[in-house]
Amino acid sequence: MFEMISNWVAAFLTLCIFSFLYKDNPFYKFAEYLFIGVTAGYTIPLTWEMAFIPYVYRPLFLQHKFILLIPAFIGILYIFTFNRKLNWLSRYPIAFGMGMVGMGVPLSMHASVLVQMRGAMIPIENINALLVFIGTITILLYFYFSKAHTGAYGKIVKVGIWYMMIGFGASFGYTVMARISLLIGRVQFLVADVLHIIK
Amino acid sequence: MNIFERLQMLDRRWIFLVVAVAIIVPLIIPFNSKTYTTEPTEKLYRIIDSFAPGPDEKPIEKDRALLLVFTHDASTMPELFPMEIAILRHCFARNIKVFTLTFLPSAAPIMDYAINTVKEEFPHVKSGEHYVNFGYKIGALMLPIILGMGEDISEAVDIDAEGRKLSSLPIMKNIKNYNEMNLIMDFSGSSAGGAWIVYARSKFGANVGAGVTAVMAADEYPYLQTGQLTGMLAGLKGAAEYEKLVEVFALKKREFSRELLKDPEYDNAITNPDIPYKFKQARIGMNAQSVAHIMIIVFILIGNIGYFITKYKEKQQG
Repeated sequence: MFEMISNWVAAFLTLCIFSFLYKDNPFYKFAEYLFIGVTAGYTIPLTWEMAFIPYVYRPLFLQHKFILLIPAFIGILYIFTFNRKLNWLSRYPIAFGMGMVGMGVPLSMHASVLVQMRGAMIPIENINALLVFIGTITILLYFYFSKAHTGAYGKIVKVGIWYMMIGFGASFGYTVMARISLLIGRVQFLVADVLHIIK
Repeated sequence: MNIFERLQMLDRRWIFLVVAVAIIVPLIIPFNSKTYTTEPTEKLYRIIDSFAPGPDEKPIEKDRALLLVFTHDASTMPELFPMEIAILRHCFARNIKVFTLTFLPSAAPIMDYAINTVKEEFPHVKSGEHYVNFGYKIGALMLPIILGMGEDISEAVDIDAEGRKLSSLPIMKNIKNYNEMNLIMDFSGSSAGGAWIVYARSKFGANVGAGVTAVMAADEYPYLQTGQLTGMLAGLKGAAEYEKLVEVFALKKREFSRELLKDPEYDNAITNPDIPYKFKQARIGMNAQSVAHIMIIVFILIGNIGYFITKYKEKQQG
């Protein structure tokens, strides 16, 4: 019974959102605002339950780990971001956050740059490796702006543009596929879970 | 005004309507179509399958496990949920130890839903023995948990979603860190999975797989090429491929074989009434996807022909 009611509510809200395809209307607005409200309403108590209680309240008040007062105090400084005079205080927790990001820089360099570079420096043993080699060189040359893209150099650079265009085309094709998949997901929900046309 | 000129001025809502019909009809009237499995999907399947206990081995003793990380909300469920279902089904069918985790509050109910959906099909599967849901952990703890699991999973995660101490659960026997929990599969509609490559793979050598929305697939291919990603499921197509592999091999307790995949029998699954809808949902979805793609290609061709004819006429006139 509960599943049936929840499915019909979801179906109604799905149709409210789809109604925007015809034109903007109060049903769409209602579903949009409801979504934002539900998301916030769900996240706040969950964060309270899963973050504040186990990582602040329980260790501090039940286990008396008073050292946690320091990070808790630094965390509270975030709230001053809403105060024009004291918002400089919110930069301290941000600084700690940035420190965490800094910790990842060497590993990110390794994974995103060095290993990827090594992957591009393979022996040209087959047609794929040759295509990767030509693409890497010509695209890198395209982004070298200290020389005008004219003459023979301009023609080489143009090959890089073609490579990028093919890449963008592939990305766009995948984007179309993703958007259609979202629509398929909703239609599958409507015809299978709500209307039970497919079993 | 000729037909092409009229099409140039067509209200876009007619196109929405045609796309909707192109999607609804193949879903209501299913037809068989081939699902070709690609290498990134097969590699993932084979590595996950290698975590299954042998015939003389107790599942609880097995020193291999898989971690599924749910990094998405409901907006990308149509693409990612069928992948999650297919992998969980594979794990439960083959008694592979599986853990689930999320750092997103909105992914927590999706994770529960995925586990409960598949668990219904396998009555023998028990929480704490065959799988553990680590639950939602706050995003700020992502880095300490990823790094901590490299040393000791029970210490880094501490308690599961049901509030039980990980170290007290039978499933944790012979599972300590990434040496045992050797594959992390991140499902996301963004580049969030990159954190596992940067920290878990670079520092601890863990295998990382990605289940991504089609939008993200092009960004992930370079990592696949360099081997930093062990395998990848890209969008609904990846889900359909994995779903087929699970149906052909895992559910029938067979070893992976490319020869068997060529058997035309497995391409008739969509219209086979003996196979319930939930076992072929992604593949039925791909039928609609194919029809919609053909429709879009036709629209692009008509639009371009109309554009060039109109341009040619304008040139002729003046």
